[in-house]
Amino acid sequence: MGKSVTSGVSEPANDSTIKKVAVLGSGVMGGAIAAHVANAGVPVVLLDIPADGDNRNKIADGAIARMQKTNPAPFMAPEAAKLITTGNLDDDLERLSDADWICEAIVEKLDIKHELYRKIDPIRKRGSIVSSNTSTIPLHRLIDGQSDQFAADFLITHFFNPPRYMRLLEIVAGTTTRAKAEAQISTFGNVNLGKDIVHCRDTPGFIANRIGIYWMTVAMGEALDLGLSVEEADSIVGRPMGIPKTGIFGLADLTGIDLSPHVMRSMAELLPADDPFQKVYDEQGRLATLIQTMINDGYTGRKGKGGFYRLSKTDGKRIKESRNLESGEYGPAGKSHLESAKARKLRALVSHPDRGGTYAWRVLAQTLSYVASLVPEITDDIASVDRAMKSGYAWKSGPFEKIDQLGVHWFVDRLAADGMPIPPLLSQANGKPLYREEGSQIQVRTLDGGYQRIAQPQGAMRLSDYKRARDPVAANASASIWNLDDGVACLEFHSKMNAIDPQIIAMVREAAKIDKKGFKALIVYNDGSNFSVGANIGLALFAANAAMWPLIEQNTKEGQDAFLGLKYAPFPVVGAPSGMALGGGCEVLLHCDVIQAHAESYLGLVEVGVGFVPSWGGTKEVLLRNLAKEKRPGGAMPAISATFETISLAKVSRSAREAKKLLYLSETDGITMNRDRLLVDAKNRALAMIAGYAPPEKPEVSLPGATARVALEMTVNGFVANGRATHHDGTVTKALARVVSGGDTDIVDRVTEKDLLALEREAQMSLIKTSATLDRLEHMLETGKPLRN
Amino acid sequence: MINVVISGYARSPFTLAHKGALARVRPDEMVGQVIKALVERTGVEPEDIEDVIMGCAFPEGEQGFNLGRIAVFLAGLPQSVAGTTVNRFCGSSMQSIHMAAGAIQLDAGEAFICAGAESMTRVPMTGFNPAPHPGLYESGTDVYISMGQTAENLANKYDISRESQQAFAVASHQKAASARANGGFADEIVPIIVGNLRVETDGGIREDSSQEVLDTLEPAFDKTGTVTAGTSSPLTDGAAAVLICTEDYADRKGLPKLARIKSVGVSGCAPEIMGIGPVAATAKALSRARLEMKDIDVVELNEAFSAQALAVIKEAKFDEKKINLDGGAIALGHPLGATGARITGKAASLLHREGAKFALATQCIGGGQGIATVLEACDG
Repeated sequence: MGKSVTSGVSEPANDSTIKKVAVLGSGVMGGAIAAHVANAGVPVVLLDIPADGDNRNKIADGAIARMQKTNPAPFMAPEAAKLITTGNLDDDLERLSDADWICEAIVEKLDIKHELYRKIDPIRKRGSIVSSNTSTIPLHRLIDGQSDQFAADFLITHFFNPPRYMRLLEIVAGTTTRAKAEAQISTFGNVNLGKDIVHCRDTPGFIANRIGIYWMTVAMGEALDLGLSVEEADSIVGRPMGIPKTGIFGLADLTGIDLSPHVMRSMAELLPADDPFQKVYDEQGRLATLIQTMINDGYTGRKGKGGFYRLSKTDGKRIKESRNLESGEYGPAGKSHLESAKARKLRALVSHPDRGGTYAWRVLAQTLSYVASLVPEITDDIASVDRAMKSGYAWKSGPFEKIDQLGVHWFVDRLAADGMPIPPLLSQANGKPLYREEGSQIQVRTLDGGYQRIAQPQGAMRLSDYKRARDPVAANASASIWNLDDGVACLEFHSKMNAIDPQIIAMVREAAKIDKKGFKALIVYNDGSNFSVGANIGLALFAANAAMWPLIEQNTKEGQDAFLGLKYAPFPVVGAPSGMALGGGCEVLLHCDVIQAHAESYLGLVEVGVGFVPSWGGTKEVLLRNLAKEKRPGGAMPAISATFETISLAKVSRSAREAKKLLYLSETDGITMNRDRLLVDAKNRALAMIAGYAPPEKPEVSLPGATARVALEMTVNGFVANGRATHHDGTVTKALARVVSGGDTDIVDRVTEKDLLALEREAQMSLIKTSATLDRLEHMLETGKPLRN
Repeated sequence: MINVVISGYARSPFTLAHKGALARVRPDEMVGQVIKALVERTGVEPEDIEDVIMGCAFPEGEQGFNLGRIAVFLAGLPQSVAGTTVNRFCGSSMQSIHMAAGAIQLDAGEAFICAGAESMTRVPMTGFNPAPHPGLYESGTDVYISMGQTAENLANKYDISRESQQAFAVASHQKAASARANGGFADEIVPIIVGNLRVETDGGIREDSSQEVLDTLEPAFDKTGTVTAGTSSPLTDGAAAVLICTEDYADRKGLPKLARIKSVGVSGCAPEIMGIGPVAATAKALSRARLEMKDIDVVELNEAFSAQALAVIKEAKFDEKKINLDGGAIALGHPLGATGARITGKAASLLHREGAKFALATQCIGGGQGIATVLEACDG
């Protein structure tokens, strides 16, 4: 607000050569790819086969309508859908003539794809790129019989489901593919679509599915062989093994059990007879029979009536049940009692004497040695294998990183002790790690036995890359300040879940004085998957239980002052969130000059959920933004009502784009699609603001006072009466009403920022003394969910 | 006393706020077109019109700038015609009629346009900047009480079941649907045309309304209550107008005469049961006309809520068969400022159509009031 922003701010260097995209096939993948291209602001034509009846575009139209209701949402904002125009493959092929990239995502039948390619080849413009989203058909067969020009412009772009959220994009270029075409799509995929690009060879399943399908087959099969329950298996495969907490059976439910037979069979068909997958896959075996029985009974996973887990409703309560793998019966899902599931290190896990430890070892030994045996067949670059599994299967660490965690030497010895073959890659490593730190670099082992720096696309850097081999400018247990060079400093939160505590506040105060140490700009950023989940409410509850009221008020005031310090610092401050920025985390950002947000940023002032109103200046900032908003009806009340609604309903944006609508972000704030590019984009933004920077003017506003409060109270009473708000919702939002209406002011008076902050504190102190707010705090700490009291 | 007549009545289609066909039409434009059509249909000389008296419950935004005067220009009337805007919430345009009749008795004009307009889409109910008096609110008065709550209060006080409220709503929809099918609105509706948009039918009537459908709705205002969205009049966009003149003027100019205004009345009541307002106002108007309820042949009772209308029927002993022959606001909608002109104009036309002697138009008003008009057939 009101801060001078130097013109010529550098938006991320988008690939501007792809201005229009066509997606052929509007199934689950085609539709969602089109949606994600639209998320990037690029117009898309989406075609599918013509439908019978009046509307021949019914299939593609239906895909858009379906996606507008899908959760998680394929679209980052409803308006993105307007960038997609639909059509059908009979009447509208001409519309491909100006597409720079044509992405085919139709049925996995070679003859049908060939026929479509022959139809579009004469229509598409020269130099346009054609790609297939195939997951099973090799590239050399796709271009078989097509024109030379087609083969030169053709590659495979393999997205993972759902494309908006899964970061992996596998790109397969053939021997005939133009290098420029591959580079163009890679840049577009990386910068505009925000994908992690992994270049693959034209081998079955490429990288991620080749490994992922093997791993899933082994993990399910071994669980059956060892007689583990689904909860037990998942308790091992989940957190301890560094795979998302769904574990293996939970993951199968999520991806759809009905897909498994097809996926496994097609992998078996594509792979040579001596591939280890053929040994673990048995179409007549126990696992295949179990899966087929479940599909026949309608247990296809979360999209069906359940899978290995199901939710059953009894007496209005939803109970999670799990399947007994022996009997096929369902019973209440229990906890795993395996001691091994508590192991914190991978080596401790696989060495544990209980069945869980045995299971972990069998799964990892087979999976990791399989992966090691695939190099160099699938790639020369082992780091890209790790990236593929992390961004395509959401593994916390990649297979080679896991081998390093176990220790190459240790792993090889254990394989040998078990009489398992040692992959040459590992025997050649001679006990040396696959990754090493060398100064500020992370290096990865190459096939010739040396190490090389891990290649990163230009503009992709994490804070960890800067932190390596350098000390922080300042640090405490919860936050640090780092030098990002070029006069730019970075304030990093690193408390648990980046919750804001007094030490973070102390470091914010330090950061606001960073110019004294020669810095010219500040970025508030961290590498975490969530920028900050809000204030540390455990501390608030403790202080309230001990009736330490002056301390609570002082903490509130200190937070307000620290954030004001950022706002009025004599240098530009850029906030750069990704993931959740809630409560206090959102309030920090509201006090930055500009925001460069990752597209997947979820901002919200959710304090009412724990019985508070935002009182580190968040209420004040949203109110000031609403009052300053152009194009709103006259008078103070619409701005006050909008502020009241945003905060009382604890609205959280479902994307950075949506955060602009809620005024958590301003129109001029930037959005970065690729998480890895966020820090560099934020730094560029900060650098562009340094010259001629002046802090904002201090705002003063006119507010109606009691009359506005009363008007809002009437609304609140209506919601409490009709049951849409609880009794304590009423108390909390009435406290909020007093803040946003300006307290005891009169419309002819001026209200300053300090006045508003004092009102926030007053509301905070009145609410924390209510037992209902303390109940909310306690409930949130215990369950992680808001209490509706 | 000078005899005052309702010479003509016209209205726009009534459509649901926000999702209806008139959502994109400005209220001033809408009422301008209705007045223009009324002038053409009655044949009144525009130069003879003294004043446009415009009812509007939230006269701000697009309903601001003295909507009555703005309508003069939008309706293409000569600039010698004056314009004023009056506010008695839901009773605003019935109040316009009372003011015209009063002015005539003062010999302050011969012909008046009494109109009303409300776009509940474009100007929110409570207005853009609600600013209630904090002291009055906190003193415990219910003058700012939500309308839904008043309906709940009446349902409790008069022991009106959810089922009977729903039966009343279903009947309103059925009567309106049947009237529409039989051309009951053909003479009154003025198509609204803006650019390529042409709106000529009401949007709120549900032929398929039923107890079963209404049973599925949650209480709208009180989680333990009985009033739902289905037994409340919907937020509506619409405009209506009547031509009021002396009987002498109508005869002299050969204009139609739908009904004579016999008497009027307004009255206050407790805000928390504002819906009962018609009872006292009707009693005043009947007494001034020296009539009794049994003398009334046709009643237009505004249906703010089923519970409210049923409470009035119970308390004032109205004959349900005589009420809202072509349906009421639950089906047609209730654009606050326009409703008074609609029900008074409708009562006059029904009197004419049914060949009856006396009609009553009455409505309740937020804040705790009622308003009533008694009409008499001209050929009687």
